[in-house]
Amino acid sequence: MDREVNPGMSPDRTDSRPLLDVRDLDVAYEVSGSSWRRTTTTVVKGVSFHIDAGETYGLVGESGSGKSTTGRAILRLAEVAGGTIEFDGTDLATLGERTPLSYRRDVQAVYQDPAGSLNPRHHVGRAVTDALKRHGTGDRAERQDRAREAFAQVGLTDAHLSRFPSEMSGGQLQRVAIARALVLEPRLVICDEAVSALDLSTQSQIINLLMDLQQASGVSYLFITHDLGVVRHMAHRLGVLRKGELIEQGDTSAVFADPQHEYTRSLLAASPSSHPEGREQRRADRLARRRGAAQASEGAGGTAASASPTAPAAAASSPARPATADMRQAGPTRPMVARPEGRA
Amino acid sequence: MGKLVLYRLGFALPQLLVVSVIVFSLTYLVPGSPAAAILGISATPESIAQVEAQLGLDRPAPERFVEWFGGLLHGDLGTAYRSGLPVTDMLAQRLPATLSMIFGGLLVAIVVGVGVGVITGTRPGTTTDRVLTGGTVFGIAIPEFWLGMILTTVFAAWLGWLPIVGWVPFSENPLLWARGLILPSLTLGLTGGAIIARQTRAAMVKSLASPYTDTLAAAGVPRWKILYRYGVKNAMVPVLAATGVTFAIMIGVSFVIEKVFSFPGLGSLMLTSVIGQDFPLVQGVVLLTATLVIAVNLLIDIGYGLINPQARPA
Amino acid sequence: MTVSTVGPAAATTPAAKQAAGPRQAWRRLRHQPLTLAAILTVALIVVIAVFAPVLAPYAPDDTDFSNVLSGPTAAHPLGTDDLGHDVLSQLIFAARTALLVAGGSVLVAMLIGVPFGLILGYKGGWYDRLGSRVMDLADAFPGIMIGFVVIAILGRGVWILIFAIGLIFSMNFGRMVRAITLAERKKLYVESAHVSGLRNRQIIFGQVLPNLAGPLAVQAAVFLGNAIKVEAALSFLALGLPDDQPSWGGMLRTAAEHQVDHPLMALPPGIAIVVTVLAFNLLGDGINDALSGARSTRKARKASRKAARLAASTLAEVEQARLDAEAREQVPSTRDDAPVPVASSVATREALVTTAAHPEPVLSVRGVSIVADRPDGEVVPLVSDVSLTVGRGEVLGLLGESGSGKSMLAKSILGLLPPGVRVDSGSVTLAGDELVGRDERGMRAIRGKKLGVVFQNPQANLSPVHTVGHQLVDPLRVHHGMSKAAARDRAAELLDMVGVKDAAGRLSQYPYQFSGGMAQRVAIAIALAGEPDVLILDEATSALDVTTQSQVLDLVLDLRESLGMAVVNITHDLGVAAESCDRVAILYHGELLEVNDVFSLFENPHHPYTAALLAAHPTADREVDRLPTLADFVTADGEWIVR
Repeated sequence: MDREVNPGMSPDRTDSRPLLDVRDLDVAYEVSGSSWRRTTTTVVKGVSFHIDAGETYGLVGESGSGKSTTGRAILRLAEVAGGTIEFDGTDLATLGERTPLSYRRDVQAVYQDPAGSLNPRHHVGRAVTDALKRHGTGDRAERQDRAREAFAQVGLTDAHLSRFPSEMSGGQLQRVAIARALVLEPRLVICDEAVSALDLSTQSQIINLLMDLQQASGVSYLFITHDLGVVRHMAHRLGVLRKGELIEQGDTSAVFADPQHEYTRSLLAASPSSHPEGREQRRADRLARRRGAAQASEGAGGTAASASPTAPAAAASSPARPATADMRQAGPTRPMVARPEGRA
Repeated sequence: MGKLVLYRLGFALPQLLVVSVIVFSLTYLVPGSPAAAILGISATPESIAQVEAQLGLDRPAPERFVEWFGGLLHGDLGTAYRSGLPVTDMLAQRLPATLSMIFGGLLVAIVVGVGVGVITGTRPGTTTDRVLTGGTVFGIAIPEFWLGMILTTVFAAWLGWLPIVGWVPFSENPLLWARGLILPSLTLGLTGGAIIARQTRAAMVKSLASPYTDTLAAAGVPRWKILYRYGVKNAMVPVLAATGVTFAIMIGVSFVIEKVFSFPGLGSLMLTSVIGQDFPLVQGVVLLTATLVIAVNLLIDIGYGLINPQARPA
Repeated sequence: MTVSTVGPAAATTPAAKQAAGPRQAWRRLRHQPLTLAAILTVALIVVIAVFAPVLAPYAPDDTDFSNVLSGPTAAHPLGTDDLGHDVLSQLIFAARTALLVAGGSVLVAMLIGVPFGLILGYKGGWYDRLGSRVMDLADAFPGIMIGFVVIAILGRGVWILIFAIGLIFSMNFGRMVRAITLAERKKLYVESAHVSGLRNRQIIFGQVLPNLAGPLAVQAAVFLGNAIKVEAALSFLALGLPDDQPSWGGMLRTAAEHQVDHPLMALPPGIAIVVTVLAFNLLGDGINDALSGARSTRKARKASRKAARLAASTLAEVEQARLDAEAREQVPSTRDDAPVPVASSVATREALVTTAAHPEPVLSVRGVSIVADRPDGEVVPLVSDVSLTVGRGEVLGLLGESGSGKSMLAKSILGLLPPGVRVDSGSVTLAGDELVGRDERGMRAIRGKKLGVVFQNPQANLSPVHTVGHQLVDPLRVHHGMSKAAARDRAAELLDMVGVKDAAGRLSQYPYQFSGGMAQRVAIAIALAGEPDVLILDEATSALDVTTQSQVLDLVLDLRESLGMAVVNITHDLGVAAESCDRVAILYHGELLEVNDVFSLFENPHHPYTAALLAAHPTADREVDRLPTLADFVTADGEWIVR
């Protein structure tokens, strides 16, 4: 069952135009060895994707893949070295040095570290009211009301408004961050590993919250994560980044059902699963894949891409395992869906 | 390694250049003319102009700089206004005493400082730590020249163990040279050592709190090895930094305590040149001092590279 | 002159819970006796300076030529100097001078240094590059030298002196402000403020400046002391204040001239300087400690010392401050969103622990309870009555979220509990040897040889300044008494065994040259050096990428097979447990909820918490409409719902 996209309450828009359109994006960082010699490394190379209104796009990758940098470029916190980013039809490059206030209302962010994203000296309510104040919302009383509303929406109470970050848990602080992001009624929220630092039990709450809020307001998410399980649950479409390049993208269910690229396959294979069933097979597969890769690159004269442990075959059974396991199908149980964009 | 040295040199030399430009331009900051200062009350506009011409003060700045810098490269730092002697000679005459004092002081500072720092850093919170750290707190508060006065009073005047006027050139008598250096070295070293001790202690505590100590302990490496072999080496970088800073401070302090020990060093030279507004001399001393500091910092930077592999140029 | 030991560290100490708002800092300050004494002393000196004309028996220029250079008399308690001035009065008036010059110069230093540092730190780019060069250049000139040069150019006088000393310290302030501003600018909440649209100016004044206040206060206090020393030195050399103004340095100058016949004249001014500078330094230190919460009260020290004596750890004594905080964080939080149900409110524990203990356990934990002794005397339970066994060649997963006590359990087995945390009851036996209560030497015989550990963060777990080979050779030589050469060979073997290519060559490389996964393999090799019977992995793969994680786990499983080791895999990740463990134990708030073989546990969880955890976990291989949360498994009163 594919999740439905709710385009939400956006005013009259050309339906064909995506909310965010990224084309051939290059982002480079200056890595300074000394102050006189500066070397640049291109962290994002030729990345292209789009996000429609009301949809969640998952950007998946391991560390160093450039996923966070892509998000920062969209937030105008990192300089674009090449390519274009268009938001609602406007090329960001034309916006000039100073980011217009309207953009800062339409595009928001929720980060991985909830405590770090809030000023430790201010009480958390202020994070919301400061944002409202900057965007010219009414008077003090009105801002307070809006803040209370926003807190209620994310499941916090009025009492929480006057607490300090050090007095609240990680899950609560992330709710504050979400409230702050959503109180401005943005069109796009960049979630950069927004649930990765939370406990398992809190994670599911925040995921549900984000999805509920999307359902209610039609906001789009760019969901950046390394966790395939979360992205499968949350994203309508996803893209896989590897070393700065988008190597595969498409509808979530399609990509999971039939990954085209080798890297995507290995990522899926390496992801811890929900059940020990079939793990021996998975392990054997991984070993075979690694051996294959090692032989291929050794044959080509290079050094092995991944080290293969010199150990007996992984198919040996572990001593304490009971004999009663039925081998249930470990893969996805839904039919494959043809992908609208045929790109790998 | 050679790469590291060249790299650091590449930094030090431009620094020296800029320093010399700054030093040179100091004369232009002075209100009034040194000629007037030299002539004193009897100055008339004509005599001032005459002296100025004599001293070459009437020529354009860039020309004078080039001339000065050129002379510099040949080891000629000009002539002192008052004494008329070549600056380089005056400096060379005074340098040995200052260098000896600083060498001795640095030795004491490092030995005492690192020693106390390691001892306290490996047992924070204990009585030993508290007593020694209290000592370092005192050490930082004591004016060095006062300490020198007290030490001379006690050890030279009262106990007579050491001479009051201590300077004997090394070439004349190495043993007496060393003996004469004891009190000044202690004076410089105890206060400098206090600074190094505090930095070392902080660095040790931090280094021993790092997770690698857990890994090593879990692997069964004995505690003393972890403390002294791993802990110390990891703490060395901040300690090196502290040593560099202490050296710079020590040069300045040595100038002050020369008076106490009647050492014929650069300090008294500096003093007379400041009071007399004798700029070639002032410039000479400042330039020499800056060069010494930059040279020592260069050595320390190289030291960083030796200890910490990540500090080496790629 | 002091090198300030206060730096960006004061403002950027971790654990926001520890750091101070001014309220907490003030509270802490009140419990620091040394700082209070320093404040009093400073206040006293200020009072003396302000009321000098009233307090001093004589005016500063009162001379009594009939009584020159006398020792202490009734009329002159501290004697007179060579011009007949009363030493005591001179001392009192000199306090005025000292404070005025010190205060003025620190003000000048801040006026120059603070804006300079702010601009450099906030604007960055070329401003910073150029400005940093300027600061580096300033370093080439020893402080007092700058003073000399300024006086040479401008002459003598109070204001010149103030300017000169201020200039000396200006770059120190500049450096500190720049460092803190740079650090703040990178902070996430500053970036968040940007994203919300807040203006630069707002951000500097609202967010960055308040964080400067504390360190500035500390720095200012310390430099007040330094300034007094510098002023004294300059006056000693007759370069500072004009002769008719009394100053401690000037008094020492006079004392130096008469050192031979009147040596004691040097004492009053010298002591005055030491006391004043000391007071300022201690004040600065005290503010610093109050801000960073680093100093423990006397009561806390006593309590933790008592605990340390009882605990089996020793290295921990070195880590006092850091681990104290860690222990506090391990205390179960009661601020969670969902109500915290009592774990054992469902059925009896025996019913939950279904799998029989392994017939020949290598490691056996029986009824272990771990508690933390809080500074205020309260005893907080961290782990309650946990019993586990691990058999030869078996992988036991210890699954729990943060605060579940799993790390403490691992540390208790190793005898590496932090100070203030101890094993209250129970026993841990390893191949028949009892571990609880062993002293350090006893534990060292076990660690490495019988027990190996791999911790979470690969890079941080290796000493950055020693080669990998060095860190492998040390344990090898300790456990097997090998020669250096033999140990090196064996080290290469070990590295090869854990899958590091070109093992012999990489021995001479440093940890930073290894990627995360490779570094963790090195850590595994180190753990295996002593050929232990049990390997404990404490969140060993949590910091790794997914692909690297699966490689490392596969490696561990291979090693388990080839070496027949028992493995305890501590993790918070269900997927890791599913992929790698034979049996799994679930820990929750220090209690063991359930132990079962992995298939049965995942198929048929007994405890509602386990069921909730399994259900709430989104994974890559299945899809759910809506994730259940913990709250779905708990009633409004905090009781577990048994399904």
